[in-house]
Amino acid sequence: MRVLTVDDSRTILAMLHHTLSNAGFEVLQAEDGQQGLDVLKNESVDVVITDINMPVMDGIEFIRNVRASGMHNSLPILILTTETSQDKRDQGRAAGGTGWIVKPFDPDKLISVIHRVVH
Amino acid sequence: MSDLDDFKATYFDECSELLLELEEQFAAIEDGDRSSNRLNAVFRAIHSIKGGGGAFGFSGLVGFAHAYETLLDHVRDGRVELSEAVTALCIRANDIVADYVAAARDGTELAEGYGAEEKHQFDALTSGDPDLGSESMEEFDIDFVPVMVTIAGAEDELAAEPFDLAVLDDSFEAPPLSPETGHWTIRFTPHSELYARANDPLLLLRELATLGDVEVNARVDEVPALADFEPFGVYCAWEITLRSETATEATIAEVFEFVEGNCDLSIERGLVPSAEDMLDRTMEETAPSPAELIETAEVAPGAEAAPVLSFAELAESMKPALKAAAPVMPAPLKPSATASEEPEGDNDRRSGPEDRRNGVQSIRVDLDKIDRVVNMVGELVITQSMLTQQMDETLRARYQELVRGLEVLAQTTRGLQDSVMSIRAQPVKTVFSRMPRLVRELTAKTGKKIRLETIGENTEIDKTIIEQLSDPLTHMIRNSADHGIESPEKRVAAGKAEGGVIRLSAEQAGGNILIAVEDDGGGINRERVLQVARERGVVGPEQQLSDEQIDQLIFAPGFSTAAEVSDISGRGVGMDVVLSNIKKIGGSVHVKSWTGKGTRMTLRLPLTLAVLDVMLVKVAGSPYVIPLSSIVETIQCARANFSRMPTGAQVLQVRGEYVQVVDLATRFAMGTEIERDNRFVVLCEAEGGVKVALIVDDIIGQQQVVIKSLEENFQSIEGIAGGTILGDGNVALIVDVQGLKSQALNHKSAA
Repeated sequence: MRVLTVDDSRTILAMLHHTLSNAGFEVLQAEDGQQGLDVLKNESVDVVITDINMPVMDGIEFIRNVRASGMHNSLPILILTTETSQDKRDQGRAAGGTGWIVKPFDPDKLISVIHRVVH
Repeated sequence: MSDLDDFKATYFDECSELLLELEEQFAAIEDGDRSSNRLNAVFRAIHSIKGGGGAFGFSGLVGFAHAYETLLDHVRDGRVELSEAVTALCIRANDIVADYVAAARDGTELAEGYGAEEKHQFDALTSGDPDLGSESMEEFDIDFVPVMVTIAGAEDELAAEPFDLAVLDDSFEAPPLSPETGHWTIRFTPHSELYARANDPLLLLRELATLGDVEVNARVDEVPALADFEPFGVYCAWEITLRSETATEATIAEVFEFVEGNCDLSIERGLVPSAEDMLDRTMEETAPSPAELIETAEVAPGAEAAPVLSFAELAESMKPALKAAAPVMPAPLKPSATASEEPEGDNDRRSGPEDRRNGVQSIRVDLDKIDRVVNMVGELVITQSMLTQQMDETLRARYQELVRGLEVLAQTTRGLQDSVMSIRAQPVKTVFSRMPRLVRELTAKTGKKIRLETIGENTEIDKTIIEQLSDPLTHMIRNSADHGIESPEKRVAAGKAEGGVIRLSAEQAGGNILIAVEDDGGGINRERVLQVARERGVVGPEQQLSDEQIDQLIFAPGFSTAAEVSDISGRGVGMDVVLSNIKKIGGSVHVKSWTGKGTRMTLRLPLTLAVLDVMLVKVAGSPYVIPLSSIVETIQCARANFSRMPTGAQVLQVRGEYVQVVDLATRFAMGTEIERDNRFVVLCEAEGGVKVALIVDDIIGQQQVVIKSLEENFQSIEGIAGGTILGDGNVALIVDVQGLKSQALNHKSAA
């Protein structure tokens, strides 16, 4: 199973990579929404995990673009953010986000959340 | 735990970058650029520092960063004005964040309540705001529970209870364990948004099944005839009976957490048979089993629930439907069919080079790995030059193809070397960007008006050299602000503008990078410098020095001319430290001063530390190398115009200029049997344009060498800058032109 992780923080990318690859996922990385879109154009993934606050293109815009492309209607996108405030979460969902993960994430919880949205 | 350490190392690396970014952004903000891009970048930087800090449980850092972040959030959407006072507060806050990060990295404790005053100011600025008041702090508590990041061997018990938090939250209303209350009836009707967000009812039902025994009934009465069927229509609903001793309304609701608002959901305790339920049961004979329905939902939700129709009906309804739908159907179906597969064909071609150019394509590589490549390339360069050396005339004539191949190899090696070097290169901007702030601080401390100009900040130079530049540049700029630029009154009296200018510039000159710190101040007070130098015994009482030599004295160890030692330039340590730091990275420092007009200090730095272009010479039978960058020309001794000074010192006359001569054989105390006329003069230019003529026995050729430190492998020797291993395995010493020149000067001065 392939996961695309999108986050401008190297620390978070590293931790995601570690957690996910230990759980047997193949991990792709992007540092902002635009890079994320570029990856999706060339690679097929089973699930996306994205941060909200990012330079160049933020997570909300990224999700909106993924859905608008029409190519990834059934691709689960998890929003990874420290912001638990309802409005960010709602914005993410309204843009087409499938679910969310609260940072800092518990590794087991992360994996279980992924299994909630992907076969 | 080593994983955790790795993450921490990554985090602190990232923090240094983010803190640097903060400096840059605030420098621009202070210059009046308050665009939302800058404010967003600042917000993100603090947000990332906080986020990572939370993961490692650095609670002090997180607490402070959170309050700061809240303020920045207010600033960026205009609720708090970015006044000068707020900017100053932010700059102070950056320092505090940096201190917190440093303390977390070094494992030290900061004083109790460090940054508390600033935190209060954040709260005061942001309070009274309903949006981010108490509510956000509440969330913040949940948000930043420190979590251990041990992953590899995580206990299985933990995994078995993925929703323990929710269980705890609702434990007070956990139902008593009776068969009656152990039953739940859940009615679930998805809306189209649920599918649009890639949620999948099958997964929800599966997850529900992990809570206990489930019986799932699909309600397919809404499924229309195929003719009326819309590909993205939503026709299915489910009713689930859950039997579980442990499930609570909260644990069930959590399963549907991600689809809240995108479906109709009712969760009721007990068995609640409904009219629809009864209807469903009557339909079971014609309808597919729930399991089948669920499986089909996986592909296209509701879409293949069509078998409700009998086969005959289906065939009948398809005739008109096919005609009507034919032009429409394929289009909307296509994306759904390819959605889960790699998009191919047209799409792939479209996302070709153009897209690659738009995205920043980069990877992070461990510096050690790059250094290994740099070293190997260095060795490759040497082997290549060795091969070229082996080609004598006979071989050249006989193996022309081989010669051509070697020429191509030489070119390729050069290209490879340049490419590898450019990997290690970084723009000097990374260190220049720290200087505006320094100048602001100095302006505040000295009461002088100083403006900093930077030129050529995109000039690239080896990363290791950049890292070593920060201290010397700081010292040099401090020195310029403290000793160079005069007070506003003095400047006006001298007919200059009230405010002084310090110009920081970088440029590439051949194989070197020149970094200059210039000021338009009073220049070096040579009388005073000489007086102090004599007082301290740096210069003998009878010794006569040229203006230029006096200027260089400011780099002498323990030298300071400020009448009163200020806390800015330090206590007499500084400029000599600059010199030793720069020498360490293979560079040199030169100062030039114009009385009343200003001073320019220039650092000459190598482009890279790894490889040096040299001329290979022979002295008393041993090979030596002289850095090519310092050689002006070579002359046969027979044609050279030597003469003697009245002091007895030998000089070389070149185009009307007298140049100090150093016979390397004599200098290194080795005899040579080569006749004087058959030897060579290598005219070198040391720092500051001072020339020195080195006499060698023979000139062998030009090549590149990998520098090996003499200090590390043996000990430091005057007049020798290092060693290198030649292609034939022989060791050659690198002549330190700068060192020989200063010795030559000393000899002359002493004489």
